[in-house]
Amino acid sequence: MLKWWLSASALLSSMMIVLVVGFLLQSSWPLLQQQGIAFVAGTEWYPFESLYGMLPALIGTLWAVTLALLIALPCGVAAAMLSAELLSPKLRSTVRFGMELLAGIPSVVYGLLGIWLLIPLLESQFELLTGRTLLAAGLLLALMILPTIMVLSEDAISAVKQSHREAAKNLGIGWDATLWRVLLPQAWPGIRIATLLSMGRAMGETVAVMLVVGSIDRIPEPFYNLLQPAQTLTSRIGREMAEASVGSLHWAALLFCGLMLAMLAMMISLLTHRQRLVV
Amino acid sequence: MNTSRLQYRDTISKSIVWLLAIPALLVPTIILGYIFWKAAPVLDWDFISGTADGAGFGVTEGIFAQLLGSLLLAVMACVMAAPFALGTALYYRIYASPRQQQLLIVMFNMLQGIPPIVFGLCGLVMLVNLFAWGVSLLSGAVVLAIVLLPLLVLNTLAALERIPLNYTEAGRALGLDSGAIIWRLRLPRSWLNLLTGLLLAMARALSETAPIMFTATVFSGVVWPDSLFSPVTTLQTHIFYLAQEGNNPQVINIAWGSAAVLVLLVAAFGLIARVLKKLEAD
Repeated sequence: MLKWWLSASALLSSMMIVLVVGFLLQSSWPLLQQQGIAFVAGTEWYPFESLYGMLPALIGTLWAVTLALLIALPCGVAAAMLSAELLSPKLRSTVRFGMELLAGIPSVVYGLLGIWLLIPLLESQFELLTGRTLLAAGLLLALMILPTIMVLSEDAISAVKQSHREAAKNLGIGWDATLWRVLLPQAWPGIRIATLLSMGRAMGETVAVMLVVGSIDRIPEPFYNLLQPAQTLTSRIGREMAEASVGSLHWAALLFCGLMLAMLAMMISLLTHRQRLVV
Repeated sequence: MNTSRLQYRDTISKSIVWLLAIPALLVPTIILGYIFWKAAPVLDWDFISGTADGAGFGVTEGIFAQLLGSLLLAVMACVMAAPFALGTALYYRIYASPRQQQLLIVMFNMLQGIPPIVFGLCGLVMLVNLFAWGVSLLSGAVVLAIVLLPLLVLNTLAALERIPLNYTEAGRALGLDSGAIIWRLRLPRSWLNLLTGLLLAMARALSETAPIMFTATVFSGVVWPDSLFSPVTTLQTHIFYLAQEGNNPQVINIAWGSAAVLVLLVAAFGLIARVLKKLEAD
């Protein structure tokens, strides 16, 4: 009886991932059957004309995640360094507590902030017609992943052995060299995992992004123009899922977006795992 | 390299760290303050305990129904996921071979990495349409339970891992079977940690919007769902809908108020979990 319960739950919960992926594949099969795989690289998404080009949303996702990481990674690691190495223990635990609190803010609250604080700000700063842009999505995502990056990096930096810090001090190499030659290299595996985890989170974030990204399927033109409305995989699913009729090609295409998200997330997760096995 | 040059370089890198870190520390703090500043005008007891009637379309205050819906969904999801999580973690400790253990860890890390919206999609297709459960409390709770599962499993594993090995070995030596070791030894020794995990899962469930917005919620008109198969209203989706009602400032105020309540609720669960963790450590 006991063994049955344990084995059944282990089996069921580990099958979950296979179930989800298999199910998404099966549901998006009609589209794959009809259009092959070429539509993934297509640039036009017009459900009414059966055009399901995924490229705009893929590029939008890529830009939003990259932008978020470019902002949050240096700031987050620096804040972790500051709190782990330069602040007093008391201040440090306050900072940590605050960060853990911030990590718990629901994404829909960030969405609300995005619409009513960030977007008006961007509109007045850049004199845009609409503040719903890739930049807004990237900034909001940066804010959302900042606490994760900071908390995990701080763990990694604090885990560097005290004796190594003391050895560096005895050698007289100064704080600057200690930072670059001792602390960062040793904390790097942890920072890497923090980066990958927050990358996955940023990629899969739905509600906040769909409220600020503009949801227009367009590849930024030129490619670095972030002040244009765009689309991400998640915002497309969020915006269109309720409109698509059950079983249609549009429906299958949206499920395929979900499948791509799941695949990307699994790849990222495998990357973190390999690192964990090695270290 | 002489000393003054060294000091000079130290000062430079320290100031770079400070410069980068200050926005990372200040901006989130300001934003948290901003939420409560915006919420202050509507935040009072009537706001929390009142029920807005459906006809008001969010203009009338009162978020009691939404609060109830959010908590109900979160509790149901935790109740559904907990036995599976505990079972899986115990299987891992008791029966799994090293190879299976490795596989399980990889699986759950992957499952945890999958965006919640993907589970929402699967729930919409399978539960809402295929099983014809409709947009309902049950569909939403099952989807949320799947979102929570990896978190709970990994937490439970960590809790069980903290029991010293010689305890279970002593139990075995005394002739206890696996069942007795679980009930008499593993669970009593780790229940505080397990509870902490459950509270964190509650906090997570309360902050998820994407998985329930297609599967469980409607905009308004429900205070207490009639059955498992009727939809609910939740705080998360309430904020989501109100945020897009740009032309009425009163509605936006209610959205800020709801956001503040949600943040406080999630933080409360996180805080209790933190206190329990401390209690356990002492």
